[in-house]
Amino acid sequence: MSNIVEVKNFKMKFGDKTVIRDLSFDVKKGEIFGLLGANGSGKTTTIRALLGLYEPTAGELLVDGKKYDAEDTDVVIGYLPEERGLYRKEKVIDTMVYFGELKGLKNPLEWSLKYLKRVDLLDKADEKLEKLSGGQQQKVQLGITIMNNPKLLILDEPTKGFDPMNRRLLMEIIDELYQKGTAVILITHYMDEVEKLCDRALLLKDGKAKAYGTIKDIKKEFNNKSLDQIFIDIYGGKDE
Amino acid sequence: MNSPILKVAKFEVVRQLKKPSFWASILLMPLLIGFIYFISFTFGSEEVNTNPTIDENTTLAITDDAGILAANTPYVINGNKEYGIEHVKSGEFDLYFYIPSDFVESKKAEFYHVSEGLDLFNFDANILKGILAQNAAARVDAVDVISLTGNFEIVDNKLTINGEDENALGKAVIPISILVVFFMFITLFGNRFLMATVEEKENRVSEMILTAVTAKHLIIGKIIAMMTLGAVQVVTFVVPVLALVFLNRDNQFISMILDSIVIDPVAITMNIILFIAAVLFFAGTCTFVGSLVSTARDASSFIGPAIIAIVFPLYFMQLFFASEPNAIVYFLTYFPLSAPIALMMRSGFGTLGGVEFTIGLIEVSIMAAIMIRLAIKTFQKNAINFETVKLRLRLHKK
Repeated sequence: MSNIVEVKNFKMKFGDKTVIRDLSFDVKKGEIFGLLGANGSGKTTTIRALLGLYEPTAGELLVDGKKYDAEDTDVVIGYLPEERGLYRKEKVIDTMVYFGELKGLKNPLEWSLKYLKRVDLLDKADEKLEKLSGGQQQKVQLGITIMNNPKLLILDEPTKGFDPMNRRLLMEIIDELYQKGTAVILITHYMDEVEKLCDRALLLKDGKAKAYGTIKDIKKEFNNKSLDQIFIDIYGGKDE
Repeated sequence: MNSPILKVAKFEVVRQLKKPSFWASILLMPLLIGFIYFISFTFGSEEVNTNPTIDENTTLAITDDAGILAANTPYVINGNKEYGIEHVKSGEFDLYFYIPSDFVESKKAEFYHVSEGLDLFNFDANILKGILAQNAAARVDAVDVISLTGNFEIVDNKLTINGEDENALGKAVIPISILVVFFMFITLFGNRFLMATVEEKENRVSEMILTAVTAKHLIIGKIIAMMTLGAVQVVTFVVPVLALVFLNRDNQFISMILDSIVIDPVAITMNIILFIAAVLFFAGTCTFVGSLVSTARDASSFIGPAIIAIVFPLYFMQLFFASEPNAIVYFLTYFPLSAPIALMMRSGFGTLGGVEFTIGLIEVSIMAAIMIRLAIKTFQKNAINFETVKLRLRLHKK
């Protein structure tokens, strides 16, 4: 299976502070890849550098063999960032159609209405986004993220703030895209999600890879402990 | 419409046009002007000044072929119209009125004076009305009908010397109106420009949107949208004003203004070109400031001084009237922020030559391009920095 993402010797510094130290990994086409780590471990920075939002201090971050450039790419990317936000004063449907147009959908209105019906928000289509609850806004954002049928889907803590029902709905949506061949990078703190969904994972601490490989191999390396326990061990310092 | 720039522009224009606050803000000014106009014309009256004041250094002469003035009326001379005009040209008479023999029927008198440059509204013309009101005893019928009511027209004839038309202010009306439109644009739209750029950061949308559209397309799309909205705003403001002027074109004051306007195609073209460059420069400056900060509140503290610098030449307007620009005028012409308004004023008042226009236009255009480029770069780098950039000055001790 070829790689959709390749990160080679990636280093990132902000001023005098080193956030990522010589990080290398890859994400294969069609797999679900878990990017794990505590807050401040460098997960979001890695994704931002991958998408060209940050310029890396050193190293290469490639999407389908090329440095990502939104203006010149054949790879459709869906990105649900950690920083959540939408045009609060705009209507749900207007915002979705706008993003749909930007992402080149043929019929963004039809797609948006269909999606809103699926996530039980059709009656909110003409509401301003600021009138929606946090969870409802997150569902709108997820719709915007997946609307262009991405080949690479990056979800930064997608279930944060979701109730169990909506978490299940999200898992279903991720699984549907996975079945269609979409590669997914899942950034999460929920190890049960990783165990259930991911083929492989990378565990970051202080900008360095502490564990990397298939879930099975990572567990094997850590004496078949659960991912939760491995996470605690690494961040509790037992690995050092 | 496949271009992402146009998609951004369309979204920004449509959402603003849907907002009642947008229409309220642009209709407020013409409504206010209309209201003031209505009040002044409803409660005001066109009283004849029956006690005209004539400067003691001003020489005035009247030829009364209609025989309407009393015999002892001051300023009346025996010379005919040609005699009066010649004496105006030679400088012996400052003001000369000619009352033709058919004055009662035609209700028209003629006024001659040498154009002195910036004399758009020559209120000296009304002196005749006052003189008639005081001295028209010779023909009481005419006094009743015409003189006391002031209901007659004074045809203002500005005389030129050596064929030079010196009505500089008449020529300036249209070019300066373009400057006024620019002024309206920056005062009414500065905040909107800032909001448009800051909004993505303030709402934390920038990270998502930058995976759907590049910073360059986003910023250019927003600039196009704001310029389109500016055009809507200007049209909404200008059309009612022009309609009011048209409907009242027979009003003495308005007709006097209209008669004074001289079409100067060169100055008008210069100012239209400068206007476009100036709007781009202003748009670039606002978007650059917007891209530096993270909230509209932060932005307003940056943009305030920039707007003051842009409108700074207006505080020195008097200096721009002079036919020979002085050092301050030259400084304001070439200082980047003040250049747009200074150039437009000089073009309007006829003191901007072709070479200076070209240099000024190149300067403003380059500044516009730099500002837009900086806005794009800064937005790209700063889009996911949700804190206002701190400008730090580092002092290095050697």
